[in-house]
Parts: sequence; C-alpha cells; structure tokens
Amino acid sequence: MFRIIKKSLTIGVVTGQYQKGGTPAVPVVPEVKKKAGLFKRSFAIREVDTGSCNACEMEMNALMNPVYDAEQFGIHIAASPRHADALIVTGPVTVNMERALKDAHKQTPDPKLVIALGDCAIHCGMFKGCYAVTGPVERHIPVDVRIPGCPPRPADILEALSELRKGRP
Amino acid sequence: MPEATLCDDVLKVAFPAIQQNAPVCEKSSHFVVPKDLLPAITHYLHTQPNFRGRLTLLWACDHRPVRDTYGLYYLFTLVGSHHWVVLSTELIGNDRLFPSITPHIHAAHWYEREIRDMFGLIPQGHPDLRRLVRHEHWPKGTHPLRKDFPWDRVLGRQQGEHHFRHIEGEGVFIVPVGPIHAGIIESGHFRFSVAGEPIMQLELRHFWKHRGVEKLFEQQTLIDALPLAERVSGDTTVGHSLAYCQAVETLLHLEVPRRAQYLRSLFLELERLSNHLGDIGAMCNDTAYALAHAHCGRMKERIMQLNDRLTGSRFLRGAIRVGGVTRDIDNGRLTEIVEELNRIQPDFSEVGAIIFANASLTDRLETTGILHERTAWDHAVMGVVGRASGMNCDLRRDRPFAAYDALPVNVALYRYGDVRARLRVRGDEIHESIRLIRELRGKIPDGPIANEPSCSPNPGDWTLSAVEGWRGEILYMVMAGEGGRIHRCKVRDPSFVNWPAIQWAVLGNIIPDFPLINKSFNLSYAGNDL
Repeated sequence: MFRIIKKSLTIGVVTGQYQKGGTPAVPVVPEVKKKAGLFKRSFAIREVDTGSCNACEMEMNALMNPVYDAEQFGIHIAASPRHADALIVTGPVTVNMERALKDAHKQTPDPKLVIALGDCAIHCGMFKGCYAVTGPVERHIPVDVRIPGCPPRPADILEALSELRKGRP
Repeated sequence: MPEATLCDDVLKVAFPAIQQNAPVCEKSSHFVVPKDLLPAITHYLHTQPNFRGRLTLLWACDHRPVRDTYGLYYLFTLVGSHHWVVLSTELIGNDRLFPSITPHIHAAHWYEREIRDMFGLIPQGHPDLRRLVRHEHWPKGTHPLRKDFPWDRVLGRQQGEHHFRHIEGEGVFIVPVGPIHAGIIESGHFRFSVAGEPIMQLELRHFWKHRGVEKLFEQQTLIDALPLAERVSGDTTVGHSLAYCQAVETLLHLEVPRRAQYLRSLFLELERLSNHLGDIGAMCNDTAYALAHAHCGRMKERIMQLNDRLTGSRFLRGAIRVGGVTRDIDNGRLTEIVEELNRIQPDFSEVGAIIFANASLTDRLETTGILHERTAWDHAVMGVVGRASGMNCDLRRDRPFAAYDALPVNVALYRYGDVRARLRVRGDEIHESIRLIRELRGKIPDGPIANEPSCSPNPGDWTLSAVEGWRGEILYMVMAGEGGRIHRCKVRDPSFVNWPAIQWAVLGNIIPDFPLINKSFNLSYAGNDL
C-alpha cells in the first residue's frame, strides 16, 4: 500500500510530457466542424481496423496513456459502434473487412463522424490496387476528417481531434 | 546432438532415394525428396530422438514461367544442434496433389491449408480442408499466388458460409466474438462453445485483414520492397525489416559493416523493450489493475519518444536499409540511451514488485490459460509463448545474427505455461534487453554504417533468413527473379504458428479470462493475415 502511494508521489504528473503536434496537415471543413460541435464536451470514438498494420492502433492506444491522456478532453473509446459519436477507421479496406465496416457504420447512430486515420485509410498507401484491397475508406462510407501519417503521431491525432471540436454548434 | 555432416549422412543412409543439394544459407542442409517419400521422411525427422525436427516453415512456390512446376519446401530445425534441414519436392506439369503431413506433424495444419488457398495445390489426407485465407465469399478458383493471377485483379463475390465446428447439447451456447472487437485492437473472429462459464471449445476465424502482402512483394525489386516489409506488422517494424534485409544481403553477397550490425541489435532490443513494457501493462489492465497499466504505458511512451529522437520514427521505421543502417547513432547518443534506460530499469523493477505483491492480481494470473509443453511442441510454438511453456529456443542464442555472436543472451525460460509465466518471460527479457544495450555500448566498434550493393542476384537463387523479433522467430524466404525483382517472398510472422495454440490454452477457462489469455499471447493479426 505505502509502496504504491510512494511510487505515485515520486513519479508525479507526467501528462503533457510530449512534443506538441503542429496544425493538422489536412484542414477540417467548416460543415464538419459544425457537426462536430455537438460533441464538444464528450466525444465517444469507436475504432475500426479494416486492414492496417497495427501501428495506427498502437498510436490510438498511446493516446489513452497517462502522457497524452485524451480522456481529459472528454474523448473516450466506446466498446460498440452503437455507443459511438465517431468511427475512426484505419487501414485500406480489405475484401474481407468491407462488409464489417459497412455494418459498423450502419450501426453507429446519427449524427456521426467518420475519421480516416493514417495514409492507408486515406489512399490505401502501398497496398493500392492489390487484389485483396477494395479501396480507401471513402469508397465505402463518407469520410469527414482525414489524419495523414504512417502512422500519425499521437500528438498529431490529438491536435486534429481538438481542432475538429473547436467549432460552435 | 548430431553434427551437421553426421545428420546429413544419417538421412542419406536412411533414405537412399533423396539427393543432396548445395545449402541455401549457413548451418543448413538441403535435400530433394521424391513426393511420395515426404510423409515418411518428415515423420522420421520429427520423431527420431537424434533429430527431433521442429517444423519451422512450409512454403510453396510457383516456378512458372521458368519451369512448369510448383515447388514445395519443408524447413525443419533440429532441436539439439539448431541446424536447419530443408526438404524440397516438385509437382510437375498438371500435378496438383501432394501428400499431407498434418496427420503426424500437427504444426503443418495451417501451412497446408494456406498453400491450398494461395496456390490451389491439394494436400491429400489433410483432416480439415476448409478455406483458411480465402473467405467463403471469394470466387472459386482464385489462387492469388499463382503466377497467372494478376496482382491487381478485382475479385467478384459469391455466396458461401463458413462452417464452424460446433458442440451440441443441453446448456451449450455458442458465443461469436468479432471481427470488430471492443478495444482498440485488430480484427479477427473467435467462436466459443461454452457450457455455463467454462470454454469447451474455441475456434479461430482469421485472415480478415489479408492485404496480399506476398503478392505485392512480387511486384517489387529486392531493394525497393523494404518499406513493405516494415508494414507487414507495424509493431515489429525492425524485426521484419531486419529479416528481409538479411535475406537480400545473402542474395547480393553483401557484407554488413560491424558497426551497423551492432546498431541493428540496438534497434531490435529497443523494439522489444517498448512492446514488452506495453504488453505487461495491457495484461494488468485486463485484470482491471489500471495502476500498473498506467505506469507501464508511461514507460513505454518514454521508449517510443526515445526512438523518435534517435531515428525520427516512433516505430524505428526507415532505420534499417539493405547493406546496413540509414543513420549512425554516435557515442554521445548511445550514452543518452543508456542513461535513459538506467532511469527506466529501477522504475520498472518497482512496478514489477508492486505487480507481484498484489494477491488479487496473482490469483488471476496463476493457472490461467495453461499451454502445456506437449501441446506447445506439437504446434511448434516458439517465442515468448514458447519460452513460457518450456520451449528452450531463442534465435539470438541458437543462430546468432546481427551482433549477437558477440553479445551472449541469457534466455528466460519458464515451464508452467500459464499467463503468469508469460508475464515473467516478458519481465525477464526487459531486464536482459537493457543489459544487452549496456554491453553493446561498451563493445560497439567505429566504422562505416552501410555498404552499397554492387552486384545483382542470379534469377532463381533463394535464401532463408531468421530474426528473433519480440514475439518470436520471424522468417523470410526470398527468391530472386529476373532483373533484380522478387520471384517469391514467403513471410512468416511468429503469430501464424502461435495462433492455433491459443485454441488449446483457453480450454476449461472461463470466458472473462479469454481477453487476459489472448493478451498474454499478444499475437499479431496483420502479420498472420498478410
């Protein structure tokens, strides 16, 4: 017990100990900002992996660690698309995941946002044209926000998400 | 422990019909075997006490247009001497049948189904010929790795349903999970049969994320395909790129400077550190012990930021190149790394003490998800999972690559095979990696960091390369084609071998423990599905 308290006291607060990201590379459209304004205080995200290499997932996971602590901005991860305000999709959409992605999108209640995370989700990256890949996310469902990078740094993801939610409803 | 030449002689005496070829890489032998002799000779290699061959890789290759044949290759690692034995056979002309070895070597199960899907070759006598990689909606007759299948073909869709094995009876329920999961993890489907809480059966349905990686390799040249290898499994960037580069360097007869080899070991250990730290935290999180998760997440982030400062990529992407490494880490930087690790090590030791002093946590970890040594051997399980179940294998010690010939590794080995053992292996390996990096800083020589490739490979040459990534053995088979292109590249992430074993580790456990068991294996879906 004392060991745990001592450990927490000696470590202190680590939140924010990272290099801040720059302004988002792909600006957010005003209509999307307007839609996102609804989620200003609380933003539930469902992550859907449609064929990424797992690096984008790891950076999403890093977003939830004490250093980035996305929860402090009201961002949290929902366990089901039915509880989500936004879908974050990573990876080129593979032949096998196409149906699952469309299902998840259908199950997400309106109004909803779709965020394409990483180069693969935006333009298939180096998997473009392959027999097993059916195309970028926007070929299957409408995409509102794009966060490029291979993979994007957590700081950049955080920056893009806060930029998105600056608008007024 | 038979010596290499002795083992060759014994095999030739036992099977006079086989013919020995020149070895494809160091510490290996290559035999050409008549097709109908395959079951007998593989059985002999697998069961003879002198050999105890572990099936390490099984792959096929379409030799067209050069010759009208399909090649089948079986790689065994002899447990005592870590010597490699490659057996190969050819299917000539319209022959599409080969004898299955699965009935007596269980580890061949998925490999043979994969070959059937990707090449349309049929393993006769295989107990389970359902589709593996190609889901049922893929049209009949699509075998992507055949040379007459265009890489950019648009697939149609047909009706079809996967038939899961199922258990019937009063009170037996089927619980389907996936392909999209509740956490931020990759896509895969699990189907449980449960009676009350305990799991009676688990069946995996993977390959949702099949991206056609092996076919994409064939569209590239040996040098240009490196970024693809880095993206086979994003969390094992260094492991995969290193294994790929080693294979290409063997084909190009390219010597890697000593300093570059040390730096490669450094990158590999940094990758191991960050992933093991993350895994220990995630395992604690799955027992709802958020405190340890937070501490481990914080330490992992420090390593990731260190990676970023060193190479400009948090995953060390672009750090390794064919012939060496892309940028030097000067001695000042090396000292900075060691100082950072000197701070992390006591920090981690304290967290480890907190974890193992917690009775409720230990209660969840002990005797959960036991993978017995016998099951592990039958599935040829290796890596972290294998070392927790008594499989004494680590390529860094057994077949040294990079700078490991000068950096002896103490291999963590546990026998109990439960979640706690897997946690202990990871904990020990973290300390070992830090020790290795310290030793490495003392030994690293000065010199150049890369050599330029000067010759082009001979079409048809092939080689094998193996790297002990943080999950386990990563294997690459690269065969050169015309004009410096790749004719065939077989990628094997350790996940492909270890996934089926999880179906046995969960038996008798309760469903709420499955996420914990799965996390303790922590296998890659992307590296498995390719």
